[in-house]
Amino acid sequence: MTELALPRRGTLIAWTTQGFPPGRPYKGPTGSRFEPFGVGLVQLGDVIRVEGRLTESDPGKLAFGMQVELTMIPLTSVDGDEIVTFAFQPV
Amino acid sequence: MHDVAIIGVGIHPFGRFEGKSAMEMGVDAITAAVADAGITWNDIQFGVGGSWTVANPDAIVGMVGLSGIPFTNVFNACATAASATKACADGIRLGDYDIGIAVGLDKHPRGAFTEDPALVGMPSWYAENGQYLTTQFFGMKANRYLHEHGISHQTLAKVVNKNLRNGALNPNALRRKPMAEEAILDSPMLNYPLTQYMFCSPDEGAAAVVMCRADLAHRYTDKPVFVRAVEVRTRKYGAYEVNTTFAPVEEDVAPTVYAARAAFEKAGIEPADVDVIQLQDTDAGAEVIHMAEAGFCADGDQEKLIAEGATEIGGAMPVNTDGGLLANGEPIGASGLRQLHEIVRQLRGEAGDRQVPGNPKVGFAQLYGAPGTAGATILST
Repeated sequence: MTELALPRRGTLIAWTTQGFPPGRPYKGPTGSRFEPFGVGLVQLGDVIRVEGRLTESDPGKLAFGMQVELTMIPLTSVDGDEIVTFAFQPV
Repeated sequence: MHDVAIIGVGIHPFGRFEGKSAMEMGVDAITAAVADAGITWNDIQFGVGGSWTVANPDAIVGMVGLSGIPFTNVFNACATAASATKACADGIRLGDYDIGIAVGLDKHPRGAFTEDPALVGMPSWYAENGQYLTTQFFGMKANRYLHEHGISHQTLAKVVNKNLRNGALNPNALRRKPMAEEAILDSPMLNYPLTQYMFCSPDEGAAAVVMCRADLAHRYTDKPVFVRAVEVRTRKYGAYEVNTTFAPVEEDVAPTVYAARAAFEKAGIEPADVDVIQLQDTDAGAEVIHMAEAGFCADGDQEKLIAEGATEIGGAMPVNTDGGLLANGEPIGASGLRQLHEIVRQLRGEAGDRQVPGNPKVGFAQLYGAPGTAGATILST
């Protein structure tokens, strides 16, 4: 096994939206505080495809083959500490 | 090696039954299947049971009769019933037993399945991040398929509309109220392009099938239905399947393709020979995609076939004549035996208002579930 740094940019291979709050153990806001988010399968170079959240959740602004880049987004906060997670944003 | 025949089928309606346990529903399904075969429980030489919510389906012998038979529990998520069917058929095929029963039973709470991701070998971050939802995968797969093969959202609505109309003809279905295509399209978007009514509901129910050595079947019935093939496959490297965080760049086809191909080869039957089809319609997109994956049409042909009514009860390739999962919901362990129940009723000419015309002779049933497991069963008169 060797470590391999993956490219931060990639191509959107497949995508959908999450229109309802996931059940436990989802850490993000639920109930009336829930906000829909995008989810995609992103191909990083010619190395691998990874599944991740998308910063964009409007189907009109998402397209197959679009370029996306890794970013970090706030997911929730615990006792005042912000918890972040990874996501891909359109370039 | 012996050929195998189905001589009895039984079902407990699919729906919501407050105060009734999955085991009690399983007892009703077993009782109906045994009676349909014209035998008694004591004639059953072995059993196979599948369930998600009941850890030990074999405990059901305490409710139907402590006859001491071997009873094996199986579980392969949504493909559980294919494994139960195969284990039961193989026990007879190999000559160990003459008569056996496969039973499936489950009782799920409302809403999308949520479980500890560790149960399927997934890391906890996957769920904490909001990605551990089977419906998300189905949305992605359907979205991509529609995009690549020119299938419209309207076609997804037509699939739901058809299955709910078929469900209205099925007294055992959960959903028996037809719905207009526009209302289906206008219902809340859960996972684009799939709206609320394009998904099946986890629910409750049970089904059972009694099998015997084919050369003994005439003792019990004048309408035996033969088990021609049961094949189960898991995903190959390259398949992007439900409950996976990554996929390789080089793609391979889904496990349904391999399971269906193997089943058709084993049975010596072509997809064009099939008269009644049951496909895993976890969502409307899945029915469309599985038509091609199972070999019934080329990718993209579904748009025209469905518009022309080919998958209707009176069409050239009737799909989910009892309403499928969309109308029946999905009690996981029972779902695939519900499929066989419907095919047997159709091949015997006992399907009443939803009978496929022209004396159907060959039936096909497909299951697909997490984490990329598919089953394909072929039955014939």
